[in-house]
Amino acid sequence: MSPKTRRIVWISLAAVLLAAGASQLAFCVRYPYFRKYAAQNGLSLAEARKAWGHPDKLSEVAMGLAVEAALENWTAVAALAAEDRKSEIGTYYYNLSNAMNGQLADRLMDYYQPFERGLFLPVGAQSTPFKIACAGDVWFALGYMPLAERDAMLGMLFSPAHTGSRYLRRLAETNLVSGDFEAAAKYLRILLNSPDDRAWALERMPDAWSPAYRQRIAEKRALLPQFDVVHGMDQTRVILHVLLNSNPSNKMALDYLLCLDLLGKDLDAFVEDYDPSLTGSRLYEEAMLIFLAAKGGMTEENLRHYRISPATFERFNRFVAGYKRDNGSGRNLTGEFGKSYWYYFYYAVRNEQH
Amino acid sequence: MNSTDLLRGGLFGLVLLLLLSCDRPYDVRPAGTGTDRMSVIFPNYQDVTVPCNIAPLNFYYTDPAGRRFTTTFSAGGLSFTRKGRDVVWKQKDWTRLLAAAVEGDIEVVSAWRDGDIPVSFRWCIHVSPDRIDPYLTYRLIEPGFEVWDDLEIVERNLENYDTRLISDWRNAGNHCMNCHIHAQGRGDLSMFYLRGEGGGAILNRGGTLRKLTLRDSAMISPTVYGEIHPGGRFGVFSTNIIVPTMHSYGGRRMEVYDTASDLCVADFDENRMLTFPETARDDVFETFPVFSADGHSVYYCTAQARTLPAGVEQLRYSLVRIPFDDRTGALGTPADTLWSAAAHDASACHPKASPDGRWLLFTVAAYGTFPINHRECDLCLLDLRTGETVPMTVVNDDKSDTYHSWSSDSKWFVFASKRGDGMFGKPYFSHVADDGTVTRPFLLPQKDPHYYDKMLRSFNVPDLGDAPVGFDAREIGRIWKEVPAESFE
Repeated sequence: MSPKTRRIVWISLAAVLLAAGASQLAFCVRYPYFRKYAAQNGLSLAEARKAWGHPDKLSEVAMGLAVEAALENWTAVAALAAEDRKSEIGTYYYNLSNAMNGQLADRLMDYYQPFERGLFLPVGAQSTPFKIACAGDVWFALGYMPLAERDAMLGMLFSPAHTGSRYLRRLAETNLVSGDFEAAAKYLRILLNSPDDRAWALERMPDAWSPAYRQRIAEKRALLPQFDVVHGMDQTRVILHVLLNSNPSNKMALDYLLCLDLLGKDLDAFVEDYDPSLTGSRLYEEAMLIFLAAKGGMTEENLRHYRISPATFERFNRFVAGYKRDNGSGRNLTGEFGKSYWYYFYYAVRNEQH
Repeated sequence: MNSTDLLRGGLFGLVLLLLLSCDRPYDVRPAGTGTDRMSVIFPNYQDVTVPCNIAPLNFYYTDPAGRRFTTTFSAGGLSFTRKGRDVVWKQKDWTRLLAAAVEGDIEVVSAWRDGDIPVSFRWCIHVSPDRIDPYLTYRLIEPGFEVWDDLEIVERNLENYDTRLISDWRNAGNHCMNCHIHAQGRGDLSMFYLRGEGGGAILNRGGTLRKLTLRDSAMISPTVYGEIHPGGRFGVFSTNIIVPTMHSYGGRRMEVYDTASDLCVADFDENRMLTFPETARDDVFETFPVFSADGHSVYYCTAQARTLPAGVEQLRYSLVRIPFDDRTGALGTPADTLWSAAAHDASACHPKASPDGRWLLFTVAAYGTFPINHRECDLCLLDLRTGETVPMTVVNDDKSDTYHSWSSDSKWFVFASKRGDGMFGKPYFSHVADDGTVTRPFLLPQKDPHYYDKMLRSFNVPDLGDAPVGFDAREIGRIWKEVPAESFE
């Protein structure tokens, strides 16, 4: 090969490599969360593209939500949720990030709510692997380790590599919270041998907990159930009651229970579960007004007991007047009441395709 | 650039490549009390009894601070020294050592430095002249709460590390497949289920494979648990309505129970299902049927029906035996109680008769019918000659020990134990002497001593066979795709 030919070969090779590198770089810049979610699933970029195809804007946001939630970056989750457009994953993480800030009920009606599926992602034969991979985040936050562990295990089971730090970290931590160090050790050891997870695992080694990590575990343990109930996999209300009966100050569990009742339009269950001395929100006031109006309970005493403000009561009267005026049509109510529970209760329609 | 420069550059690149490709030592932490690696070596082969035909016992030292590990093995005048944290054998050396130690011990001296402190201790491996059946089948499954993905049924050669797939997800449409069982440890008589569309019970008789739909209209479900008769013509099965639930407290994870269960017999020659009113009562559950060694009886577990899930902790199964007519396939009456749930305030599961008819090995849990998730679940060995149980404290551990099977000579049994991490079942083997002495179990050896640390799947229903089964995953895939299932009436 002549020096000139050799130079051409080298230059061509370098150009190809440069072009490939630039393309890869452009992809990573455009879809940073795709790359991060792939890494959390133990996949290279190429493996992830083979398994999941080419991302789009929506899947990038969804993966971003999953990535940031796994890292418990709730501000980033909230920001990403604002970019989402009516997806169950978007609502699920929007609600979860609000709940982490104690604002689940206050902000529930500000957003698209696909009924109960915006609070708890169903795990079943129809669920996508991605939703299964995300379903345990709410249970971990609520303090229910059996389902947090189950969903991490299922997420890993259905992930392309059947492993991934996303799942192994959660499995290690659910067992650290539960006090099952023998189970946690298995996952910590695997993570310890992964360069990207080594520091995370070292901090969680049973003999290396920092005061901050001890505090985190103590806070999580305070949420754990204190008694046993054998329940079905989908008995969400039963589980929330177990959490609340074990720890009545678990306000997040209480708000999830009440919001679950309300998104399912089960006002009888809501009234049974609602104690205005334990939690409050304009959402709950609005729901109580529908119930009281339907049951003929609009007494001063009830309004006082359920802490319904004069402003909410007055708005409700305006809503009812508008409703009657338009013969039940919500056409003219959207502007003022579109983000009220009243509007949701009367006009939200369940999409049976889900 | 001259040729010397090129050579230097090439050598530098090679060295760099070698350095980059060198494996970093596997970090063995966390080890010690309160973790899943409590012993100084893993797998812990100290004072275990192994068959004279077992694969090399590779292991590693768990002391994270230790260094300069030296291990010396001696038997019958032979001596081998291994240096390093990981103790990995060459097959040839191990075979020589085993041969030298038959009916004796392999003496081992372990030595290392823990910081500046020298540590040394002696231990031994007992070698039994009783050979173990050389083949083990098991299903590899992630502990996935009643769901599955990418299942594999594997046959492992216990004399080395060879494995081969006898059924897998790639060839069988990623359908569920249940565990493979041999009849009395025979490689030429075995079965397993392929579930879902195109599936059926795969029966292997003398290498001839059939796909069977073991169901008729009188049965509450397709067949679930069961066993093939030693004569090969019949199979006895339970039919079960299985409900998976969860516990909220105590790290108990899943609870699985039956809301109904009956017994039935399949006649593989006549393609008939036989059901019996005595074992199809609504108020009584019957499950886990197996044949006696002579084929004249059926052992199974039975319990009074309860209101479930509320009464699940009162659901306790006794172990009973009923006559079986191996000419007609009929189950007789009455049932004879061998182990009473009420008397022991516990629940029996998974009976397995030894092929010589001497022993009945079963599982005892506090309650229920799915011991794999019960930490307290232990193995129990019943001497069928005396009706007495044999002490098994040396075998059982603090996590679930269950899913056992016998070798064809009744000298060894294998079981799946979740000892250690509590999540992943691993196969352990024990020897049973004629006087009922059982030995400390040993974990299935692997080529990589860190294999179990990296493994995220359970070894489900390990089952011993005296010969390889005469089929593989590709053959099963062909049957799944092309062969229609035979119906049973």
